[in-house]
Amino acid sequence: MTERLNLSNALIKYGDKTLLNDVSLKANSGEMIFITGINGAGKSTLIKAMAGLIALSSGEININGRISYVPQVEEADRDFPAKVIEIVLTGTQRPGKIFYSRHDKQLAIRSMRELKISDLSKRKINTLSGGQLKRVFIARALCGEPDILLLDEPCAGLDSESHDILFTLLRKKISEGCLILMVTHDDSDFEYIPEARVITLSGGRII
Amino acid sequence: MSEILDLLRYSFVQRALIAGSLISICASILGVILVLKHYSLIGHGLSEIGFASLSIAAALKISAIYITAPAVIVAAFIIMFVSERFKTAGDIAIAVASSAALALGVIISSLSGSASNMSSYLFGSVLALSESDLIFAVILAVIIILAFVIFYNRLFLISYNEDYARSLGINITYYQALISILTAFIIVTGMRIMGTLLISGVIILPAVSAKNLASGFQSLVIYSAIISFIAFIAGLTLSFALNIPAGAAVILANTIILILVKVFIK
Ligand SMILES: Nc1ncnc2c1ncn2[C@@H]1O[C@H](COP(=O)(O)OP(=O)(O)OP(=O)(O)O)[C@@H](O)[C@H]1O
Ligand SMILES: [Mg+2]
Repeated sequence: MTERLNLSNALIKYGDKTLLNDVSLKANSGEMIFITGINGAGKSTLIKAMAGLIALSSGEININGRISYVPQVEEADRDFPAKVIEIVLTGTQRPGKIFYSRHDKQLAIRSMRELKISDLSKRKINTLSGGQLKRVFIARALCGEPDILLLDEPCAGLDSESHDILFTLLRKKISEGCLILMVTHDDSDFEYIPEARVITLSGGRII
Repeated sequence: MSEILDLLRYSFVQRALIAGSLISICASILGVILVLKHYSLIGHGLSEIGFASLSIAAALKISAIYITAPAVIVAAFIIMFVSERFKTAGDIAIAVASSAALALGVIISSLSGSASNMSSYLFGSVLALSESDLIFAVILAVIIILAFVIFYNRLFLISYNEDYARSLGINITYYQALISILTAFIIVTGMRIMGTLLISGVIILPAVSAKNLASGFQSLVIYSAIISFIAFIAGLTLSFALNIPAGAAVILANTIILILVKVFIK
């Protein structure tokens, strides 16, 4: 068991607003943590801080391993001229490696198959439905062989079959030693991974 | 037609043809990224700064490249930095900087008595190309195409979603710098032949047309390069046939292609 995440007294201020307030959290490989809380509680802010997208105002964050991230909202132009396969493959990029290997391509094909989007692989992303696109983003994250998976409301917009597929894949990832942090508003998700920890945020604090 | 083909015997025509084709193709490839990242205005701002620095170089009677290249590169960094930091202020910063630079260029040209060169700076001139301009264009083309091939996957990712690239631990500042430097070089090289006022159109227009045709990023890059090449050849031919400035003719050809694509596709 390896320590993958160590957050101590993390504080994020935006102007005079405190988005994240004194959050401390440790997590190891093979763990699952659900993050809940009302709208505006700071869940996405916490995930983005771990993904390296928002700097802490104070406190410390230590990440040990490769991160893959499924954002709550994809910050990209939906009309961007890209095919599904082109987007999924980007999940295998990492610093210091600029070409896709054959292994990367196999991983992308496998994760598209697992999420049942193989038949969409040549489609332009602006021709997909919301739920199909969400599955593309999940496939992109999964094919990066992450040590840490950050999922910000991955189930929003998924049909019940895709929801079950996702949890089957997540259980597999956990057994392989992946640390997963997942934001959800649906308490019934907890039943899929009974051994998971649940943390609740309120006003930027863990309660 | 045969008269125009006869022109091919002249070395200045050959130079214009080779250098212009390479510049057009490279400009349109970079244009894909600038259009997708909504940085279209940057080319425009930079070329006007290029004009101001050309005027200064002429007034000081030193070789233009020593002033324009550093000025445009520095400006490219400042503009990218400003639009990154103050998301909404980017276009305003460009508009302010470019009109100020244009005014400065005109004033310096007039005061230093080099105003007669002004129209060749503004609208370009195929006759202006020297042997060393051609060599510079070839080197630049090799660098840009190599950079694009080598960093293709990164440039795709960063054009699509910078935040996602960051979450993978990729340092996007390097790539922003790469894009800025290459754009600056294309402008400095291209403004001799296309004109400072028109080179930004050569960068942007082919990508805008190609966006209507492409099914993915790769095909967008390829279509953009092909359209730009066709527009350049058509524009250069037109410029010899009608005795009009090449840059303007190339932009006219690009605009016609854009209209045709909009009307006949979709
Ligand atoms: N870019 C921003 N600038 C200023 N405030 C922000 C910004 N992004 C988020 N906030 C604020 O930070 C707080 C936390 O936002 P966050 O997105 O983390 O909430 P959340 O828990 O993910 O909510 P939801 O369930 O709606 O997704 C909110 O009060 C929000 O208004
Ligand atoms: Mg959220």
